[in-house]
Amino acid sequence: MASSATFSTLVLSSSFATQCNVSNRHHQSCFLSSPPKIPIFSIPKPVSLKLTSLLSKTPTFFTIPKSSESDAAVVDVEPDNVEPEPEPEAAPEPEPEPEPASVVEASKEEPKREEIFAVVMIGGRQYIVFPGRYLYTQRLKGANVNDKIVLNKVLLVGTKTTTYIGKPVVTNAAVHAVVEEQGLNPKVVVFKYKKKKNYRRNIGHRQPNTRIRITGITGYQDYPAVTLES
Amino acid sequence: MNKKEILKLAKGFRGRAKNCIRIARERVEKALQYSYRDRRNKKRDMRSLWIQSINAGTRQHGVNYGNFMHGLMKENIQLNRKVLSEISMHEPYSFRALVDISRNAFPGNKNVVLPTRKADVSINV
Repeated sequence: MASSATFSTLVLSSSFATQCNVSNRHHQSCFLSSPPKIPIFSIPKPVSLKLTSLLSKTPTFFTIPKSSESDAAVVDVEPDNVEPEPEPEAAPEPEPEPEPASVVEASKEEPKREEIFAVVMIGGRQYIVFPGRYLYTQRLKGANVNDKIVLNKVLLVGTKTTTYIGKPVVTNAAVHAVVEEQGLNPKVVVFKYKKKKNYRRNIGHRQPNTRIRITGITGYQDYPAVTLES
Repeated sequence: MNKKEILKLAKGFRGRAKNCIRIARERVEKALQYSYRDRRNKKRDMRSLWIQSINAGTRQHGVNYGNFMHGLMKENIQLNRKVLSEISMHEPYSFRALVDISRNAFPGNKNVVLPTRKADVSINV
């Protein structure tokens, strides 16, 4: 099971590597941030099983596979201090870029990632975001590739011990992101047909989207928080 | 659409509908009509699913869905049902905090009895 899981994540990684030039560990977790049509947290089963096996000593804050991926990333931090080619536009936190050959070790070489999540509203929709992952949103007009973006409508921020619930917005909280790509969704065929009236229309449609990668969540510290005593 | 495209869309259909163009054309047209209709239905179904899962999550804490949403609206928390259902599944502590906020904002649930867990009730003493 684990080997097939690794294979599936390798397949995901390789399919994205040609487009993005970003390291494979991002793509293990990237699949979770999805285009609007698919439920956000649709992880293929093998991936989740693989990562739950990696979790040995993590607390139950991020219990389920989707969140456990980011936790696995944090757990497997240790020795990765190599930074061969840091991207100039990349996140402030050091994110090394292993060669495409070292795929298996990539899963063990995650940098220290903060265990934090936020709920942000973009384009009229709400998304749960984690630093280091990407997601597809509605096309942001006027944003070019490699632009840094600050998202201000942050509705909830959660860390390991505290939750900051916005009413409706967490004041001064900001989610920093980088625009990666302005593309199009997969084509849907819009076929309209009325029976016995000789009416049929066949139209294809590709909705424009923007892929953004979340780099950090800041500015929530001074907000009244709900702290758990666990 | 020409025949090749229709037969490509007809993959997986039953019987002659995947092979013979006359039958495949009808079935493919019907399939495309269904997909048009169901793209709209999917939004309704997902919302219903989210509401069910939020209901289940809040009832574990002794609050039902209607009172929970009423409390959130009173507190001007604008999280939508999709995010609430995800939080209820994956972030139990944050969800607990939301339920407490709602309970304080709208005291309609003081007399609710928490459901007893089956594990607690033992048959063989």
